[in-house]
Amino acid sequence: MIDKRLNTIQQFFSELNGISIETSFSSDLEFNIVGKIKVPVESTDDCLFFDVKIYPEYPLKRMDTESITFSNSDYLEYGHVMGDGSICRHTSHQTDLKKKIEIDINSLKRWIWKYYLNKDNDKHYEHLILQPKEFKGNHFSFLFTEVDHIFSNQQFGFFEYSKINNGLYHEKIIFNNVIQEFRDSSSKKVTECKWSSAIKQLSNKDLGIYVFLDNPPAKMGKFIISNWEDLEGLVNQNLHNFLYSVQKTNLKLNGKPIPFLIGYRISDKEIHWQVAILEIGKFPIESYKEDKVWKGGFIDEDIVWGITKNCSYDYFFGRGRLTENITKSKILIIGIGAIGSMVAKTLTRCGCTSIDVVDYDIKEPENVCRSEYSFLSGICNKVDDLSNELFLISPFVEVGIINPILFHVDSKIAQGLNSTNTELQKKLLHYDIIIDCSTDNDLLYILSKLELNRLITLSITNNAKDLVCSVEPKSYNWVMNQYENVLENEMENLHNPTGCWSPTFKASYSDINTLVQFAIKHINIKLSDSNKNLRNFVLKTNESDVFSIKLDEF
Amino acid sequence: MDKSLHLDSVIKTHQITKEEQLLNKHKDKNKEVKEALEQKYESNIYSPFNSGSYAKNTAINTKFDFDMVCPFKRNAFGSNGTLKQMYEDVFDFLYEKYKDDANVRKQKVSIGIEFFADEDGDIVKIDVVPGRELNQDQYKDDENLNLYVYYKYGNFDQGSERIKTNVQAQIKNIKDRATKEKDSIRKVIRLLKVWKNTKYNSPAKSFFLELITIKAFDNKDVSGNLWSKLETVLQYIRDEVTGESFTLKDPGNGSNDLIDTLTTTERQTLSDDMKNMLERIEDNDENIKTYFPENSKFLEEEESDNKYENKGNGFYSNPPKNERFG
Repeated sequence: MIDKRLNTIQQFFSELNGISIETSFSSDLEFNIVGKIKVPVESTDDCLFFDVKIYPEYPLKRMDTESITFSNSDYLEYGHVMGDGSICRHTSHQTDLKKKIEIDINSLKRWIWKYYLNKDNDKHYEHLILQPKEFKGNHFSFLFTEVDHIFSNQQFGFFEYSKINNGLYHEKIIFNNVIQEFRDSSSKKVTECKWSSAIKQLSNKDLGIYVFLDNPPAKMGKFIISNWEDLEGLVNQNLHNFLYSVQKTNLKLNGKPIPFLIGYRISDKEIHWQVAILEIGKFPIESYKEDKVWKGGFIDEDIVWGITKNCSYDYFFGRGRLTENITKSKILIIGIGAIGSMVAKTLTRCGCTSIDVVDYDIKEPENVCRSEYSFLSGICNKVDDLSNELFLISPFVEVGIINPILFHVDSKIAQGLNSTNTELQKKLLHYDIIIDCSTDNDLLYILSKLELNRLITLSITNNAKDLVCSVEPKSYNWVMNQYENVLENEMENLHNPTGCWSPTFKASYSDINTLVQFAIKHINIKLSDSNKNLRNFVLKTNESDVFSIKLDEF
Repeated sequence: MDKSLHLDSVIKTHQITKEEQLLNKHKDKNKEVKEALEQKYESNIYSPFNSGSYAKNTAINTKFDFDMVCPFKRNAFGSNGTLKQMYEDVFDFLYEKYKDDANVRKQKVSIGIEFFADEDGDIVKIDVVPGRELNQDQYKDDENLNLYVYYKYGNFDQGSERIKTNVQAQIKNIKDRATKEKDSIRKVIRLLKVWKNTKYNSPAKSFFLELITIKAFDNKDVSGNLWSKLETVLQYIRDEVTGESFTLKDPGNGSNDLIDTLTTTERQTLSDDMKNMLERIEDNDENIKTYFPENSKFLEEEESDNKYENKGNGFYSNPPKNERFG
């Protein structure tokens, strides 16, 4: 079987135009097929040589990586070459062995043309290539954001970090941490990361050390240095003195890891940090006498690089977010049941950073199946539970919990008292967008009379058949008319829980969230374009043939 | 439901005469302002007159004010006097006179006087539009006036010295129609104003809606019951307002094209609003109730028929039909 595959591959390669086989293909101990080929460089007399390794999955992919490699460590200086000399390529899916080999050879030729011959540099920045290593069998990660401070070359000091949840990183434990603030060598605060106040208030803090360099600790511009001696030329004696004194004053902690951040500029506006894990008592430093002066230096030892990640807002939400007209708004969500909690979570995941919530209700286990709450937090205030859920998602969201007297004292009891209504209006004008998911008709009646920046109401009919969304001011009558006269709100078939006096609507998480997401998408499209006007709308579902949703704009 | 019956009720409950007390207060204040201006400017002013929706009989009672045009003589502010001087002088006079009783504001081409709420909570609003005849003593013959543009109005720049208009011609544009047609036009205009008040950010001004309604009557067979007439006008606006060659001439000045008061996207919005409205009412007659709401203040109470209907009443222990979920 293996021989047949080997012969086939050998055959296909030998039929490729211009390619010659330098070392015949053979099978290694792990059933990979290996060989060496010679590829001519187009319009020159040059030829390049590549070791070829074909994994048993080929032509299928191995996880999300190619299952064929072409490598030659002589080409490390060129773009898109990994540390082991393999060429980084992305090719299309193909299940036919012969066609896949042709595709791979063509992509190799494209690499030769683009990066070897033309020496192209990609416009987007590629981080230094490094393979995180274990420290005493564990991995470490440090998450950071941009800061409002310009670090200077050789600036060093302490940084404070907070431990967050541990997890598994493949088979090993990983200790995850967020970097909080940078201090100078005398522990005076220099700057801090731009996390939400919830992240800043995390306890379980510890200290590490950092140095900032003008030049990245790199070899060939793209591989991170691997030995401490390689750092020697980049740092000065002050850092050595600092490292020496840190180790000396922490002797009691011998054997414990301490993170050492090395920062560098990657563009005019951006810096990056890498982290090496040091062991207290075994810092990779030595001291020696030169011209009668004691000096410090790094020793010949491999660096244990950990993992770092720039989690600044633009990266964190880089893959997709809502329009800035929403994300930069101060938002109040009134009522955080099924719809309200879905809206809150969606806005949080989509980049909103200022979300206040108000509800007087208690979360019960039976709420979990169709809202954004979790079972393990038990019975508790919805506002507290949801704010915790939101903090878990975004390190940038500020969640305010508003006193639920908004529902009665501030609004309904104050009804008719002009001055108090103005007070309520003043309070609510603090918000750019108010999303009322309370389904409280009385409250809607009151809110509709106020002049607010933007009031959006969301509610559904039984079985999540329709979603009614008012976005225009003074929409109380419109909403009521939809429910009373226009839509079918089937009230005979409600969910009556055992032992409960109040029946509730029937609909699953999927039923409700399908409509909520549809509505949010529509609102986002309208608000992202100042030429578009957001109007009241109803989403109508139809299940008679295939499921469909129709948006009726008013 | 009978849509025309509903629309009749909308018209009826929005009749300005329903707000008799407020209307009388406007009339009284209007008289007072008119006399004050006549006394102040004596022989330099022709008789101020009402020009707005009240004069055209297209007013509705949920949002109304009085517009008063003050026609000045060409040399009222000296033979070299500017329109700006005219505007500022009238503003200064009205401001000094009413600053303790009202908010006096400079508006696009007018000066707004909004009297503070009286003991009944009523607010009287009068917009004074100063205008100047084109040449000395010419007004009697042609009724043309130049207005001052205080801030940008459509294509007219701020500080523009010349926006010629003929308010009498604007008023006659409706008044001179055959009685039956005039009545229908006025009803449709009032309905469009009721709709406009329900809308957030509706770009079209009342005067625009008046002119486009009249143009629809001129160009389409607007007939049948009230809904049918309204529907034809809505369809006309939907289909025509975005047309590149569509114009809407000011009857007071043929060189003013009111379509220029809307941007291309605003024209599209207006057309879309008409499209949505027609489609939603086609989907379900009941939707007409929120596009064209009755004024609940003057809605005659219907006898409660005490039916076991489950709308907002609550039915046995089930929640009522207007129970929203979420």
